[in-house]
Amino acid sequence: MRITNKMMTNKYIRNVNTLATDLDKLNHQVTTGRKFSKASEDTAAAVKAYRLREDLSKTEGYQSNIMHAKSYLANAESTLMNVQSITIEAKGKIVQALNAPNSHDERSIIATEIRNIRDQLLQALNSSESGEQIFGGSNRQNKPFTLDASGKLVYNGTTLATATPDELAKFNSDTQYVDIGLNPEFDGTSKIISSTVFNYSVPGTQIMKGGTSTVTLKDGSTIPVSNNLYDVLTDLVAELDKPDSAVNPDDAYNHDKADAIYGKFNEVSGAIVSNLTNLGSQSSYLDFSSQRLETLTFTMQEKQVNTEGIDPKKAIIDFKSQKLAYETALQMGTHILKQSIFDYMS
Amino acid sequence: MAIPTFSSFQTAYRALQASQTNIDTAGHNIANIDTEGYTRQRVDLNSISNSGFVQKYSLGLKQAGSGVDVGGINQIRDPFLDARYRNENTETQKYDTMLKGLSDLENIMDEIETSSGLQNELTNFLNQLQNLSKTPTNADITLVVRTAAQQISQMINSESNLLSQAKEQQVFDLKKVVVETDFNSIVKGIADLNSQIRREQLYGNTPNELYDKRNMMLDELSGIANIKVSTSPEFIPSDSEVEGSGIVIENLTVSLYDANTSTYIGLVRNDSFNTLKVNYDGDKASISMNKGFTLDGTDTSLEKTPDNVDYSDITKYITGGKIKGHLDLINGNGTYADITNNENSFKGVPYYINALDTFAREFAGTFNELNKGGGATEKPLFAPSDGSSEITASNLAVSDEWMNDPTYITTTDGTSGQTGGADNILRMISAMNSKNNIFESKSGTSMFKGSFNEYLTGMVGELALDVELMTNYSKTSDTVLNNLFNARESVSGVLLNEEGVNLMAFQKSYNAASRYFTTLDEALDKLINGTGLVGR
Repeated sequence: MRITNKMMTNKYIRNVNTLATDLDKLNHQVTTGRKFSKASEDTAAAVKAYRLREDLSKTEGYQSNIMHAKSYLANAESTLMNVQSITIEAKGKIVQALNAPNSHDERSIIATEIRNIRDQLLQALNSSESGEQIFGGSNRQNKPFTLDASGKLVYNGTTLATATPDELAKFNSDTQYVDIGLNPEFDGTSKIISSTVFNYSVPGTQIMKGGTSTVTLKDGSTIPVSNNLYDVLTDLVAELDKPDSAVNPDDAYNHDKADAIYGKFNEVSGAIVSNLTNLGSQSSYLDFSSQRLETLTFTMQEKQVNTEGIDPKKAIIDFKSQKLAYETALQMGTHILKQSIFDYMS
Repeated sequence: MAIPTFSSFQTAYRALQASQTNIDTAGHNIANIDTEGYTRQRVDLNSISNSGFVQKYSLGLKQAGSGVDVGGINQIRDPFLDARYRNENTETQKYDTMLKGLSDLENIMDEIETSSGLQNELTNFLNQLQNLSKTPTNADITLVVRTAAQQISQMINSESNLLSQAKEQQVFDLKKVVVETDFNSIVKGIADLNSQIRREQLYGNTPNELYDKRNMMLDELSGIANIKVSTSPEFIPSDSEVEGSGIVIENLTVSLYDANTSTYIGLVRNDSFNTLKVNYDGDKASISMNKGFTLDGTDTSLEKTPDNVDYSDITKYITGGKIKGHLDLINGNGTYADITNNENSFKGVPYYINALDTFAREFAGTFNELNKGGGATEKPLFAPSDGSSEITASNLAVSDEWMNDPTYITTTDGTSGQTGGADNILRMISAMNSKNNIFESKSGTSMFKGSFNEYLTGMVGELALDVELMTNYSKTSDTVLNNLFNARESVSGVLLNEEGVNLMAFQKSYNAASRYFTTLDEALDKLINGTGLVGR
């Protein structure tokens, strides 16, 4: 096979060009730190890379949501602890009123003090964090706890003492929630599946229970008492304020009645403690989730570097050896292309 | 019979002439070593005999031959290699054109290095929704969500417009550059050369340079469309009355050859030629032929074009070369193509525009539906910006209602009875993550099922794979083409060393011929001036 001059130059140029192309690619790799700059250079890795970017960004969002939920829970916790100390103070006053033989005036003074404590309780229940109500469920703007015409506690527009079980159920399930990476899903009726989100608010009805129950007195008679602490205190105060004797026996102070109401008071104030425990465990769940997401983020970032990034040491070594090959090829060319028989013809 | 005295001088003269021609040819080759498309030439030498002299009585002549005759100066070329080279060139140029076009598309849609593309905007939108879910009653954050939505729609608009521009560029390239400038002028050039060559051949010349020029044009033409070159001999009888005397000349025909249907469509025959025209209606491009002549079968040595060929649309007969590459990019509708109507199913620009349209429709549709908040009244977040009834990638925009009131986004469906719930936002977040979105084409065919990000990644992935594929095809094709080029070069190229050796050899023969001439001269001189002087 004849090897003509044109063939040799052509082949030489092609080879040098191939070397130069590879050299350029390696140079680009070293300067950008990336394995590939277009998806077509490594499609499988590019698809993986897109996925990783998406997941990393989502995880950031989840972490932010967890922070938000944690601060909310912390606020709720401190508010509830405040409520707890209020109830302890109230308890002291009630015991004082019930145990020692007190005159009507003495009782009235204690009743006023308890009334004040009760109002503090109402204020605490209407606490807000940066303008958003803590205990209102999905009612964030307006105070959830108000009073109706007869002074009974109202939660989000419904008088608690007379609320129906359906209404109470609705309030109990009405919380605020965020997506912390559990894939929020909706059931057939387009209602959120609560196991796929994180509920971070305490509905007011968990603290102030609705409905009314009956309490039995020593003599066997029963009186209706609301299940929420505010109404209980109202009833107690009303009872303490009654004079020692009156025309209608119901209008006179009945120590047994007061005692029975005090029993209810102990019952409902104990419920607050269980909320605190709940909040504690929710908070630690969030900590656990946050840690898990952090570990996940590290893993994904590592994967991202493996998928998209280059090992700088290897890249530089490749670049140098390619550069050497390129320079060698250039030098060789001058030797091959120069000579012909005409150099030797005399 | 006696040998004429001076006939030997003719032999010597012919020898000198032949050597001179050889040296000149070698010089011509050396001068043209760098000429593009040059084929090396060799002198055709024939020995002259003195046979064929017939008389009534055989005399048993013992006579030497009469020297050398320069038969002609011919090119050394292998037409089979030419045919193979042209076939491969058609493929290579097609892949090259497709690769360039697809790479342009990749630059528009790929965001792997910039990380500021459509997928990035989607994740940003999702993060803003997460923010809104934390404080749904905060009007400032609804503003941020709306801005993120605007960025998505603007990014899609921009991509769609860039894709349309890329298509326009392809049409321009096809029309102005490939067909009007290159193809049509080459076809005319070949026809002109054909008539020039024919004239030369009639005079008995061998127009090697014209052959070279024509071959170069044929090579170039093969890169533009799938052509086939055929030559047919034509016998031209001479004017003399000797029967059967005349010369045979070669007629060159170039046709468009579609291997799938075995159809030949004439492009050039001798000095007739047909030009092509690109017709573009804003949607599809097609090729029509200005019929100057047809292969109607009158010349039985050539193929005949079937009668059912529609010259106003010969697009389907073009299967290779730059024209095919451009046509596929302009018309290719990928999986949206209507196969029953023979729509082009290559994944060209229309396919990707359609894919973006499908995405825009599904995205806007999903969020518009969710914004109803479980109710029946339409509360669209996205609407077409140009007043048309359908959402496409180029007209997707945030609705006027949302622009006027950022809190138009429905945060809760109100079943809790309160205004501060974030349930509808979480529905939207769930939709962004959901792998159950069904992306449908305009006609309702399900094209893809998955999440929004998966759809986009899939689209870019398809394009990347096509580019990778085309790159490999192009590389392979190019290597084969180069090998054929080398093979051709090996046969037809000038080798400097060879010409140098030839020069030395021809110089030697020239010297020898001169010496022969001198010898004859001296012999004659002896005869004339030195013979018969005895006794003088």
